[in-house]
Amino acid sequence: MRFPLALVPILLAGVAACGSSADSSANSPAGSSSTAASSASQLTLYTSVTQNTVTAVVNGFAKTDPGVKVSVFRATTGQLNARIAADEHSGGLRADVIWGTDPLSMESYAQQNLFRPWPLPGLAGVPAADKTTYFWGTRELYLVIVAHKGLTPMPQNWSDLTSAAYKGKVALPDPAAAGSAFAALGYFATAPGFGLGFYQALKANGAVQVSTIPEVVTDVAEGRYQLGITLDSEVRSAIAEGSPVVMDWPADGAISLYSPIAETVAATGGANTAAQAFLRYVLSPAAQAAIGKTGWQPVLPGIAGPPRPAGATEVYPGWPALFGRQQQILQQYQAIFGA
Amino acid sequence: MRAAAAAAATVTAGLIGALVVVPLESLGRIAAEDGLTGIARALSAPASRVAILHTVAIATAVTVLAVTAGTALALAVERRPARSRLLPRLLVAGPLVIPEFVLGFAWSQAYGPAGLSDRVTGLTMPGLFGPAGIIAVLTVYGLPLAYLAVTAGLAARADPALERAARAAGAGGWATLRTVTLPLLRVPLLGAAALVFVTAAGSFAVPQVLGTPAGFGTMSTLIYSDLALSAGPAAFTELVVLALAMVALVLLALGPLDLWLARLPRAARPETPPAVAAPRTAGDRIVMVIVWGYAILAAGIPMLTLILTALTRGPGLAPVPANWTLANFRSGFSDGAGAALARSAGLALAAAVAAPALGGLVAGLARGRWRGPLATVVTLAYAVPGSALAVGIIIGYGRWLDGSALIILVAYVAKFWVFGHRPVQAALDRLPPGQTRAARLSGARPGTAVRTVVLPPLTVAAATAAGLVFVLAFHELTMSTILYGPGTETFAVVIMNQQDLGGVGATAALALVLTVPVVTVAAVAAWLARRTAVFPGIQNGSWSS
Amino acid sequence: MVLLTAAPVLRVPDAVACAGLSVGYGRPALAGLDLAVTPGETLALLGSSGSGKTTLLNAIAGFAAPLAGRIWLAGELVSGPGRLVPPERRRIGMVFQDHALWPHLSVLDTVAYPLRRSGASRAAARRGAQVILEQMSLGPLAGRRPGQLSGGEQQRVGLARALAATPGLYLFDEPTAHLDANLRAQILDEVARRRAADGAAAIYATHNATEALAIADRVAVLHSGRLAQAGPPAEVYSAPDDLTVARLTGPVSVLGAPVRPAGPGQYAIGIGGARATVPGTAAKPADPAGPAILVRPDWARLGEGDLPGSVTEVRFRGPHTDYHLTTPAGPLLIREPGPPRAGPGPACWSLERLRLLPPA
Repeated sequence: MRFPLALVPILLAGVAACGSSADSSANSPAGSSSTAASSASQLTLYTSVTQNTVTAVVNGFAKTDPGVKVSVFRATTGQLNARIAADEHSGGLRADVIWGTDPLSMESYAQQNLFRPWPLPGLAGVPAADKTTYFWGTRELYLVIVAHKGLTPMPQNWSDLTSAAYKGKVALPDPAAAGSAFAALGYFATAPGFGLGFYQALKANGAVQVSTIPEVVTDVAEGRYQLGITLDSEVRSAIAEGSPVVMDWPADGAISLYSPIAETVAATGGANTAAQAFLRYVLSPAAQAAIGKTGWQPVLPGIAGPPRPAGATEVYPGWPALFGRQQQILQQYQAIFGA
Repeated sequence: MRAAAAAAATVTAGLIGALVVVPLESLGRIAAEDGLTGIARALSAPASRVAILHTVAIATAVTVLAVTAGTALALAVERRPARSRLLPRLLVAGPLVIPEFVLGFAWSQAYGPAGLSDRVTGLTMPGLFGPAGIIAVLTVYGLPLAYLAVTAGLAARADPALERAARAAGAGGWATLRTVTLPLLRVPLLGAAALVFVTAAGSFAVPQVLGTPAGFGTMSTLIYSDLALSAGPAAFTELVVLALAMVALVLLALGPLDLWLARLPRAARPETPPAVAAPRTAGDRIVMVIVWGYAILAAGIPMLTLILTALTRGPGLAPVPANWTLANFRSGFSDGAGAALARSAGLALAAAVAAPALGGLVAGLARGRWRGPLATVVTLAYAVPGSALAVGIIIGYGRWLDGSALIILVAYVAKFWVFGHRPVQAALDRLPPGQTRAARLSGARPGTAVRTVVLPPLTVAAATAAGLVFVLAFHELTMSTILYGPGTETFAVVIMNQQDLGGVGATAALALVLTVPVVTVAAVAAWLARRTAVFPGIQNGSWSS
Repeated sequence: MVLLTAAPVLRVPDAVACAGLSVGYGRPALAGLDLAVTPGETLALLGSSGSGKTTLLNAIAGFAAPLAGRIWLAGELVSGPGRLVPPERRRIGMVFQDHALWPHLSVLDTVAYPLRRSGASRAAARRGAQVILEQMSLGPLAGRRPGQLSGGEQQRVGLARALAATPGLYLFDEPTAHLDANLRAQILDEVARRRAADGAAAIYATHNATEALAIADRVAVLHSGRLAQAGPPAEVYSAPDDLTVARLTGPVSVLGAPVRPAGPGQYAIGIGGARATVPGTAAKPADPAGPAILVRPDWARLGEGDLPGSVTEVRFRGPHTDYHLTTPAGPLLIREPGPPRAGPGPACWSLERLRLLPPA
């Protein structure tokens, strides 16, 4: 069992051949329109949306537009940020479309001049709270309370989480781990009547921070905690699997964030490119319905989404006010809950 | 000769340049974007200081525990007859085949509140969520490294008569251990300690799962959260500074150590160790009980918990057969997972071949006073946190390699090169001098002399290194999820996507798919080795320095 | 053989005594050995590799527990059923074949090690070690590491280390195996001097017959794990009990010729037509019908007498010359002092002595 050195380059070449055929050749610095990144038949998508939703939309798009080859890079927000930063430092962004999961990250990209604004027919259908000049929402995510089945009494409002009845029983998602978790922090930090004092009260009441949004549901289901703040879609899938949890939609409204999408400046400009075909498709009833089927609320009104309790309302964090203050708010939060 | 030496230096420099300098230099350029003030600001932020402190504390504690326990276990086990040493070795090294992110999660499911142990016995591990738990799990990872290193050192130390001489001179059991055995094991122990320290300092998944609920963060979790929030370039610069600070930490810790180790007199290889095997005693049985107990607690029960989670329909349901289903495996294995698994295996195999080969090449070419610094430099890429290293590699090689699996392979080789280099260097150090000369005088040309005389004794070290690199590359998560392109997903990407989807059952199912084949292959290989004595050296174990 | 009672009263106890000793793992390397060494005596353990010399030393030192039998040191039972005194509590000094010097300690610290173990402070131990090193002319090497010493220096350091423990018994395991003749003589002198000074007993294991005969008060010949013969060197050399012992204790020639007793201590032998009457001894049981005739090289003379032979090879060895002859009774080695006096060719020789052994 020896390793003759001659074998090494052969192996390396073999593995290189295993990889996909090289796509982008010439890379241009950000800001100028490139000729290679996308063409009529090729689309590169960077996204942090969950895999099944992406797959459903991409597959639907392939049916309507079979000539386009879509390459997807899917990773969590942090990995996505790393990839984008690395691209920027090595010749320019290589994506045509970026589809994120929270507005604050997308605003950062917009501030780096990565996006091209494009008035899109159908954009008018998107609620004003869910769009900016550069990007617009494709679906709405709601942060709700998840409760262990059989818990009495059930909390009615967000502020009930600080009551003594739930001492030591509340799980919070780590806002540093995901944009959706940060949305909760962002809302409470700036909402009247809450502020960081809300978190201080939670901490004094024995609330615990766990690492991710899905883990909140898992921990509540296993009985480690009785209540938690998490995304509605997660709760629904756990219920569908038979876990002993229920969704408790707060009476003062679930915290809503939207999942934005935008075209990048690296994409080929023009009205008939693959990128724009894709963007049009995402806001079409077919794609919105597919998004609804994977458990998220479509952004266009009139398309059926997953079931909600009657009389459910939402609240919206003030995104523009939050942008740029993430680190500051996070530090204040971490002073309470630790890093 | 001069031309050969110059060529050797060029090759070595080229490899170091490609695998270490390019990524680090890219990161350095980013870190310097804000100038020195930016660097100072990043390092002096309270969160950074706390994180650095936590990281150093954890890494130090893990190193001390793992090396002490590993040495004690190795010394206890090595007294046994040769054939019966294999099982304890496998049991101690077993946890290495479980991916880090799996073990942390499995421990929380097994020993945390509302976990398996809680359900069955009402007992939970106190302090599991927090530094104690992090240290415990990371020690489980570090212990095999120390154990293997000491085992190799015991097999290769100069002469068993050295201990006899001490006892004849009046030293009792403990005194002999203190004054003769342990000093002779200095070199392998310190080498292992270095690797354990770097591994513990760079660990991410375990602090994330076990540290977050207690508000206990390390440098790697800080980098991760910075990255998640950092969409802006300024924050990105800050986290790159932090990543490079980790490299500097390793440099400070390892640099002097490697220099000192390189200067120590090398132990000569024994001619034929006399096979005086002591008869079994009651102490042997106690040792085996301890080893089995350790293996069951550290890996067995967590893996059982993982299997139960994978089989259970949904979280929170009792893991009884009524709730069992294979749906988690089915949903986890939807489109592309099979191809990703094959790709992961292929890349891991390529890395497992390349890392020892390149490590051996550099070890063989290094002369004299360059051995110490070279060992440190090779380790630097390992010390860079995965996400930062991936960024550095994209910046360095993205133009040419973007979208191909080769960029992932480069990342693997850069990161795990150290595991191919150190053991082979140590094995080379143990070769008696003059063996190549004897071959040359017998008519062999230089290449043939190397191939027939130098390489065979390195076989076991290289094979062990290859096995370790394979497992690590197969499980690698962070870099793969940043570097992959369409068509080059690794299995880790599939698992990460599943984790974000939230199904803990499906994630557990996929994690099992990642772990069980490696365990099976390792078990079969060990059984074969025992049966056929194909690799007799494995019995002796010659790893590490 | 001498067996020591459990409670010696009036006589001074033996330095070492073994009774019925069997040592080994699985198959015994030593079986049923009885041996005793009196205080101040040097016993040479003579045997080829694999004969069990090292095993016996290890058992006496306490590194191997016996399968059966007992060992006493200075009258105290140290190895026996249910009892095994650990090596560090037996007062022995051991000199190893491959030196066994510790690479991480300097020469001074190596020699000081036994003194440290018996409780001396580091400074006191080093002082004591320096004295020993000076006595053995090793003073200038005190600061060096073993890797910086030659083979002879290493072995003398090993000897110094054994001396530092002031033991009651020395065990030497082929200590001169790797040394040249000069150094070997020096070491042997050193050993003899030291022991004359402190009166400790010594067991010296070697496969070199010359060495064993030179230093020993008694020689014990080991073969295949059994004690083949024990006695003073002259006796073992000139009156071996069988062919194996004879071969182990010196150069031999074995002749096959008709021989019959011809009076007390005399034998008539016929070789190639010539006859001679030779004084000799016989080992029991001697079967006159077909014994082997043992002739040592100094028991025959070249150029005198009328026994026929032919010189095939002449080798000058310095103090003496070896002549290899072929005779009608078999090959013969004759050793004569001084430079060669004859070349190859027919020669006559006489036999001054012989010994009859049982056929091998």
